[in-house]
Order: sequence, then C-alpha cells, then structure tokens
Amino acid sequence: MANVNYMNPKFFVNRELSWIKFDHRILNEARDKSNPLFERIKFLAISASNLDEFFMVRIASLKDQLNAGYDKPDIAGMLPAEQLEALSVAIHELMDLQYTTLNRSILPALEDVGLTVIKRHENLSDEDARFVDKYFEENVYPVLTPMAVDSSRPFPLIRNKTLNIGALIHKKDDDKTMDFATVQVPGVLPRIVELPKKGKGTRIIFLEEIIERNIEKLFLNYTVVCAYPFRIMRNADLSIEEEEAADLLKEIEKQLKRRQWGEAIRLEVEAGIDKDLLKKIKKELQITDENIYRIDGPLDLTVFMKVYGLKGFDHLKIKPYIPVQNPAFNGHSDIFSVIRKGDVLLHHPYESFDPVVEFVRRASRDKNVLAIKQTLYRVSGNSPIIQALSEAAENGKQVTVLVELKARFDEENNINWAKMLEQAGAHVIYGLVGLKTHCKITLVVRREDDGIRRYVHLGTGNYNDITARLYTDIGLLTCKESFGEDATAVFNMLSGYSEPMFWNKLNVAPLWLKDKFLGLIARERDNAKDGKKAEIIAKMNSLCDRDIIAALYEASSAGVKIRLIVRGICCLKVGIPGVSENITVRSIVGNFLEHSRIFYFENGGNSEVYCGSADWMPRNLERRVEIMFPIEKKELKAQVIHILDCLLQDTGKAAVLNADGDYAKIDRRGKKLFIAQDYFCEEAEGISLSAKEGVNKSTRTFTPEIHK
Amino acid sequence: MSTKTFAAIDIGSFELSMKIFEFNGKNKIREIDFLSKKLDLGSDSYARGKIDFEKVEELCKTLREFKNTMESYGVEEYKAYGTSAVRESKNMDILLDRIEKSTGIKIEVLSNSEQRFLDYKSVAAKGEEFRKILEGSTAIVDIGGGSIQISLFENDTLISTQNIRIGVLRVNEILNQASVTTSRYREMCGEIAMPSLDSYKKLYVKDREIKNIIIIDDYLAPVAVRKAKEKGVDPVMSMKEYIRFLSDAENKTGTDTAKAFGIESAIVPLFIISSELVRWVATILGAEKIWTPGVRLGDGMAYEYAEKIKMFRGEHDFEKDILASAYNIASRYECGRKKCELLEKISTGLFDALKNVHGLSKRDKLYLRIAAILADVGKYVSLENFGDTGYNIVMASEIIGLSHREREIVANIVRYNVSEYDYDHEGCLGNLDGSSYIIVAKLASILRVATGLTGGYFGRVKDFKPVLDGNRFVINVTGDADLTMEKAFFESKAGFFTEVYNITPVLNIRKN
Repeated sequence: MANVNYMNPKFFVNRELSWIKFDHRILNEARDKSNPLFERIKFLAISASNLDEFFMVRIASLKDQLNAGYDKPDIAGMLPAEQLEALSVAIHELMDLQYTTLNRSILPALEDVGLTVIKRHENLSDEDARFVDKYFEENVYPVLTPMAVDSSRPFPLIRNKTLNIGALIHKKDDDKTMDFATVQVPGVLPRIVELPKKGKGTRIIFLEEIIERNIEKLFLNYTVVCAYPFRIMRNADLSIEEEEAADLLKEIEKQLKRRQWGEAIRLEVEAGIDKDLLKKIKKELQITDENIYRIDGPLDLTVFMKVYGLKGFDHLKIKPYIPVQNPAFNGHSDIFSVIRKGDVLLHHPYESFDPVVEFVRRASRDKNVLAIKQTLYRVSGNSPIIQALSEAAENGKQVTVLVELKARFDEENNINWAKMLEQAGAHVIYGLVGLKTHCKITLVVRREDDGIRRYVHLGTGNYNDITARLYTDIGLLTCKESFGEDATAVFNMLSGYSEPMFWNKLNVAPLWLKDKFLGLIARERDNAKDGKKAEIIAKMNSLCDRDIIAALYEASSAGVKIRLIVRGICCLKVGIPGVSENITVRSIVGNFLEHSRIFYFENGGNSEVYCGSADWMPRNLERRVEIMFPIEKKELKAQVIHILDCLLQDTGKAAVLNADGDYAKIDRRGKKLFIAQDYFCEEAEGISLSAKEGVNKSTRTFTPEIHK
Repeated sequence: MSTKTFAAIDIGSFELSMKIFEFNGKNKIREIDFLSKKLDLGSDSYARGKIDFEKVEELCKTLREFKNTMESYGVEEYKAYGTSAVRESKNMDILLDRIEKSTGIKIEVLSNSEQRFLDYKSVAAKGEEFRKILEGSTAIVDIGGGSIQISLFENDTLISTQNIRIGVLRVNEILNQASVTTSRYREMCGEIAMPSLDSYKKLYVKDREIKNIIIIDDYLAPVAVRKAKEKGVDPVMSMKEYIRFLSDAENKTGTDTAKAFGIESAIVPLFIISSELVRWVATILGAEKIWTPGVRLGDGMAYEYAEKIKMFRGEHDFEKDILASAYNIASRYECGRKKCELLEKISTGLFDALKNVHGLSKRDKLYLRIAAILADVGKYVSLENFGDTGYNIVMASEIIGLSHREREIVANIVRYNVSEYDYDHEGCLGNLDGSSYIIVAKLASILRVATGLTGGYFGRVKDFKPVLDGNRFVINVTGDADLTMEKAFFESKAGFFTEVYNITPVLNIRKN
C-alpha cells in the first residue's frame, strides 16, 4: 500500500470522456420509458444543448491547445490530439444514439399520443403544402436574407449555433457555373410551425423544411440544384488577457462580438447532403471530416425544448412542483427577526427561494439597514434581486455588488445588469483579475439597538430565482457574529483588501479551501489508521482534481469508507484493488438539476458537515473565489445528513459507477423504487403543511362565526 | 443602551489599514471591520526622504474607500494617524494638506513615543492576558518599519523603554541595497541587528532575565495568530516552539515559504526579517515565552478613544508607566530618587489645592509631575545653565505616552523652573502654541514654588498643607529643623507665581 503512486495516470479518467458519459446519462433519461414522454423529449433537448456547450468550450479549448503546440498530458495521461480523437468517436456515438432515440423511440411515441412531426416537406399533403407556402410568404420571406457567393461576393459569416440552409444554384441561362448560396433560418421566428388541425392530433413541421420547400423564391433568376440545412459550432471560449486589459468591461464586450467569428469546430449536416455542397461548405469553413456530423433527422435537437412547451400535453409531463415556504417563516413577516431566532437552512427547489429575494428586498427598504453586499454570477432575466439592489442604492444604502463578468455565456447579460446597478448608485466590482468569483454570498449590515448586526446568506447556487426552481441547492441564513465577520472579510478581499488574520467559519478558495479539503480527507485517513470510524460522503457536480482524488485513494486504502455523489464529470475510478475499493460513486440525473455541494466528514464520531459553491475541480479550487461553510446547528446538520442519506438510497434516478468505468442504473430486484427528489418534494410539502397547522393550533384567539 | 462607532485609520510604512469599532456600554469594545491594503510608503520615505506622487494618489483613493466604509457603518468619529513613513517624509506638510483636500480625512502624525504608547495600549486592551503575562519580567517588543521599541517591565511596572533603529523596512532596504538574496536574509539579519542589540543589552538589560516577550509587528504576528487559531490554542510559544515554527522557512524558496506560512510572496522577505529580529531580541533577553497577541495600532486608538468617551476603563495604570519612565530618565542623569519624589509630591499637593484657580486638567497635572521628576536632569550637564540643558535632555529622551507637543510642555516647565520666563511665547523653545504656553507658565510657576519649598536642604519640610485663603495661598509646613533657608528660597521663587495667578504664596512654618 505504501508504494502505490496514487497520482499514476492509469488511476484517472479523462475529464472530457467522463463528461460524455454524463451526457449519456441524460440521454438515458430520454430513453427511459418509465419517464413521462414529454419529460423524455426535454432530456433529449438538454443532452443536445449540453453537447453544444461542450463543443464551444471544451472541444474549443482542446483545439486551442493543439494549435498552440501544448503537449502536456492530462490527468489520465492523454495528449490533446489523443483526446480529440477519442472524443470524436465518443461524440459520434452519442449523437447516433440521440437520433436513434429520436427516430425509433420518441417520434413514434409522439405519434401515438397525437403529435406528428412532419420530418420532410416532401411528405406534406397538397393542402398542408399550400398552408406552409402561404405561411412562408406572409411570415418568413420578409425576414430572410439570402446570400449568394460568387466571384464578387465573398463567403458570408455563418454565425455560431445558427441553423442555415445551404444551396447550390446556377443562373437560369448558365448551368455550368455553380454558385453557393445560404440563408439563415431566422431565430426571430418559431422553429416549429403547427399545421392546421385535422382530427384530434397536432401536426408540426420545422421552419427549415418550410424554407427549403420555398427556397427557389429566394433566388428568382437562378435554378436551385439542391438545398440542405447545416449548422456550425464555433470556438466560443473567450481569451481575455486580463492583466493587459485596461478595462475588463470593454474587453469582454469586444470579445463577445468576436465569439461569432471563432474557428468552426463542428459542422452538422443532414445525412443525405449533396456531395458538392458539402465540399463547398467544408472548404470555406476549413473543417475536417472528423468534425462533420451527418445527421439522420432535424439538426439542433434543442428545438425539442420548444416541442415540450406545446399546449395540450400536460398529462405527459411531470406536474410542475411549487416550492413550499420554509416553516421557519410561517406566520412571520420580519425576515430579520426569524434569522435572529436561529440559523435557517433552505433546501431548494423543494423550499422556496422567496426568502432569499425577500432578504435583499426587505434590506433595501429597512431604515436600519446600512449596507448590502452581494456576489452575482448568473441572475435571471428580470431579476427581482437586481431590482431590490437598485432600490437599495436609490434609498441611500451602501450597495456593493460583485458582478462576475466572466460567467460563461452570461457575460452580456451581466454587463447590462452591472451598468444598471452602477447608474442606481451601487458600487459595482467587475470581478477580479485572474479569478472568477463563483461564491454565492450576501451580507446585510443593520444597525440595531445593541449595535451593528450582520445578516448573511450563503448558498451553493446562484442568486437566480428562475433556476432556483429547477436546481437543487442549499442556502443558509444566519446572523452569527462569526459568519458576519467572515462575510465582511470576504467582501473586503473582493474589494482588493488583504486577507483577515484568520477566518472563523468560512473556507475560501483559492486561498485555503483546497488545503482544507486535503486536511479533512487526511484526518479521515489518519482516523482509519488509528482504528477509528472514518467516513466521507461528498456530493458535487464534478470531481476532477488530481490532488483530491489521490488523497481520496490514499484514504480509501487506509480504510476510509467514501461515498461520492457526483452528478457530472468524475475522473476517479472505483474498484481499483488497493486503491479505491472503499469508494463508491453515484450520479443522480433527475427532474431537477443536482447542484448542491455537500461534504460530510465522520471525524471520529464528531462529524462535520459543510456546504459550498465549489466542486472538487482545479478551476474551482485554484482559479475561482469559492466559499465553503459549515452547517453547525444540530438540527440543520441532521437535515443535511438526511439529504445525503436519501440521495444515497435513491434507486430510481441514481446510476452507479462500475469498475469498468460505466454507469449503470440500480438493479432494483428486491428493492423498492425510491426517488430522492420526489421524496424531498413530498417531505417539504408535508413539513410545510404540518407547520401551518402548528401555527393554527398555537393561536390563542377564536374566530367567531358571523351570520350573514 | 447607546452605541458608538469609531474608525481608527493607520497610515503605516507598508500598509494602510482601518479598523471599525463599536462601543456598547462600559468596557465593551467590539471590532466590526478591518480593512488593510499594502502600500509601501516606507521605502520612499526612508530611502528618498519623500513619498512619491503616485503613492499619494493611491493613498487618497484608499482613504476615500475607507470613508465610504465608515459611512456604511454610520461611523460617528474617526482618527487617522500617520506613523514613521509620513513622519520621516520631508514633504509631510504638503502631503497632509493634499490628502485632506482630496479625501476630507485629516491625518495626525504620531511621534515615535506616541505611536509606541498606542501600540502598548493595544496590548493592554487584551486585559487579563496582558495582566497575567506582566506578572513575570516582560518585554514588549514593538517592531516597526523604521525601528524597534523595547520596553522592559518588572513587577507590572515599566522600567525602561528604548528605541533601536533597526526596523523591518529599514533592514530590508539595507539588504536590497547590498543585493542580498532572500535565502541569506536570516543570517544577514543577525549581522545587522546584533551590534545594536548587544549595546542595548549592556546598557539597559544588564543581568536582568526577561522571561516573556510580547511581540507587536505586522508580519509575524498575523501568521502566528492564524496558526494558533487553527490549532485552537493561544498564540503563545516557548522559545523552542518558536524555533520549530521558524524551521518551516529554513532552506525554502520564497514561494515555498509563502505557501508554508500562508502569506503573499511579496511579504516573505519582511516576514523573515521580522521573525529573525524577534529571534535575536528573544535570544539577547533570554526569553522563554513569546506572545504574539496580533494587535495593531488601531486597537490602541480604540482603547484611547473609548477612554476619552468614558466607555472604557482599562485595568492597567498607564500614568504609572509614564512616571516610571520619567524616573528612569532622572536616575540616568543622577537625580536622587527621594528628592524627585518629594518635589513630585509637593508639586502635586500645590496643584490640587489650586484646583479652583488654575482650571487645568488631570493630564496637565501629569506634565507637572513629570517635570518635577525631571527638574534637575540638566544639572548632569551644567550646574550653571541647567534650565536649558534640562530642556534639551527632556526633548532628547523618549517618554513613552507623551506626544511631541506634550514633551515640549514638560521640557519648557523644566526650563522655566529655573530660567527666566520668556513672555513672548514665540520666543520660547519648540514653538508651542499660545494655549500650551499658558499651561507651561501655570505649571512652571507651581513647580517654582515647590522647588522653593524643597530648597537646598531637601527633606526638612514635613506635614505640608497648602490652603487657599482669598488672595493668599498659605502653605503650612512643620519641621524640626530651622527652615529659614527654605523660607528665603521660597520667597525668591514665589514672584512668578503671584504674577501668573495674582495670588500671593505665603509660607507658614510651624515648629514641632
């Protein structure tokens, strides 16, 4: 055991390949017939949208590495070229499976429930064809911008992620010179068009089919030889030289425009595309064969998110869950007095995010509140939190907001909010040089009779009231002095001041968090060696930090029982003799996105529970500002442990990592179906109801009946 | 219960910091925020004698931020003190004016002794821990950017305080100029510090064994406090533990040292210098225990403010320390302790009896007591002109706890106790302002009367009892001996008193 090199690359899985497995697990939910049909199409759309992002960021990054001649092997010993090669195979397989699932399972099932997708315009009846032609003329034609390429007109910019129809055309009087033409399927129009009702069912056709059918109308003096849809993905990873950027805000605005011009890294085309047309596109986009995906079906499956939204199919969806009020707030209108009574733990989305919004809103109007400080990473479109912060600044409170401009794909959104807040009089910090601020923390400073009191919210999820209905997260509201002091220190650091002499409760990355985790894991290892009870339960989105994994291997070898709940990437291998035999990994892909990060350490019988914003990934532990906070109050700690227990008992949505690197759903023979997320919904509803009843019972007044 | 908030701003040699405190009822001081930012003013000031324009701009920017933070807590009062880097800057006055115009924050510049006294108060604010450690022989080692102040205590009383000009930034400058690499900092620190420390030991420590040292510094203490906190213990180390603690920096690169101690790489050289200075001081003092309470100037400022607004009353008697410090100076200049004590006692008695006439404060009384103790130091240099030589000695001595202005007052009292009074205050030494000069006159006149009473044959006056009787200030004394000489001496000294108070002092001698 002592001679094992736990850092050996053979003990690790490449993170990108592990991610593909995660997308497979999402796709599996689309394949799982026990899920309501419309939930299945949602999972299909999610798997597609995830893959798009994966291309734009991860594949792009690998291509950058390759182009730059970067030849360092990854955690699993793979070079960028090897990774790209393996990924190309894995992604082709994944996409094949997406379309097989669509064509063989989902579309027939939709047909059965009365939703017909007309895959090709050629299949339209005369009547339907007349309808779509009219639709084209009235709605589509006016917004199209066809572009032909010839000697005087260069190849146009094909925008990232857009769907386009490429065509080969020639002048009616010259059938020898073939030109390329393209038209973007307009994003401003709905991509699905419902055909007139015929009987009970609903029939839809995709917009690109309608355009394709009418393409000749766009090139009147030409003959269209062939027309096929295509879609490209570009390198969208912003490369900002922060040290050199005088103004980060302006630099990001500039780079955002460039995102549309990044190198093409994926080309999706219809399977039967004309050879010459493909050659033309390939040449112009400088894309190689392994990056071309020939698709048997509609391009861009994210459209199925729109299909999910079609009316009349609610019975084929999971009934939307309405988050309940945390019982601590029942019968209380003053959030500050509730927090003064004791820490409050919020478990979203089972419990409502409203108290968090209310916390900021109330603070903005409370005359005793002096200052509000908050970090914002991803906020919703019309965020009530931003509105409250604006109002607070206008009300003369000191408002300090750190808006992370580098939050990927939210950059533009965040720039807008940041400017708005600044106009309202808030002090806005546009992130930190070289670091992303990923922690979720709010501090309210209030002057009370006995002096300054600080109220703090710490969370594992973003301050986004919309995603808080879909993501599972933990939040803590507290006014403990030790947390308040640390929260103040966090904002001081975010404002450029030095670190405090010591932290009371919070652990902050990139300063000490990784060391803290390594220390906690080592403590379990030592306890196991000393014959004490030693156990780690950790829940996170991704696990790919080499040092942490090696520490886990070492702890496992020493006899520590390690149970991991990792939704996404997991570079750790289980079941390696002498290395990871005591480690289990499960991934939960459910109706809600598992997003909370929870860490449990047995600590020789004196267990410690932490929540936080950081995954066990190098980017979180080394390149981001993250916070991990302890859950100390006995009842709240028990509640968090209960959450972990339920997730570990899940037999419905959990997939377990095998020694061969695959994930398999739990074999339920002899086991009851238990879906933790469903259970949490029922449990929250039950607790909320009984708490409300409790309030009524404790009311010592009578309500007289009045004769009307 | 009313609460008050106060901000303490410290413009240090290498760092700007602000602490926000809340005072809530008696003896409840709570630190609610602490902001600090590195800004190396010391290197400019020590090496070039001036602080650069860019640094001043940065300083102003940070002060404006501090002001915003003060507003966010509804801070009612603040104090902003500049220390050695500002003090030693030739362009100090221009600098202070520019800062005030740009930020609205008025900075006061502390003399070395004021600064050290506040540092000392910051340790005393630790209360019980401080009292306990002071039970044994103890040294407070206050390591600043420009110098180290070592104050020795025995039996809870200050016995000496001395400034040695080997501060962290000054040593760093020397090492930089000599192009010494960080790996050799440890040995070189010893070479720079030891000659001064050796002399210090010979002159002030002698055979005393100082068991405990209390460290006030900006680089070692934060690390020691954090490490102690992680272990859940007090930041107290035995000498052996301290050596072990420092061993983490041995044979390590700057980056590794930064990692081992959890500090920024830029701080590593200063951390090494400070911790090595502590090692050498501890060695020459023979210390067994090192306490790093992790206090800063701001804590002392809060202590002082809380005392001022009567929301805090510390256990430690600082006046006693100031007086002890004065006695040490008197003893160094061969003034007999008994005579000093008698003069102090009589001056105090006169001062108290004149309470309704002079309108002076408790603090003014302290000046008189110090001046009484130091009244004869000038004789060490010249028996003829000892008013002026006394003035010079007082001005050249460190009296912990007195500001520069206060030291001027004391020195002038000593001077005008024997020298002819300059009626034009602009002609006095040290450019005292008008109101300070009046204090000098009032106290010097009392000291003259007291000196007259103790006369040439001190110790013969007994049962001293002054009584104010209309326009007469009757001083009843009894004595076994013939007090004719005292009477004559008294009368020669009483004229100035009459001039100041329009009251005639009368000596009423009763024989037993």
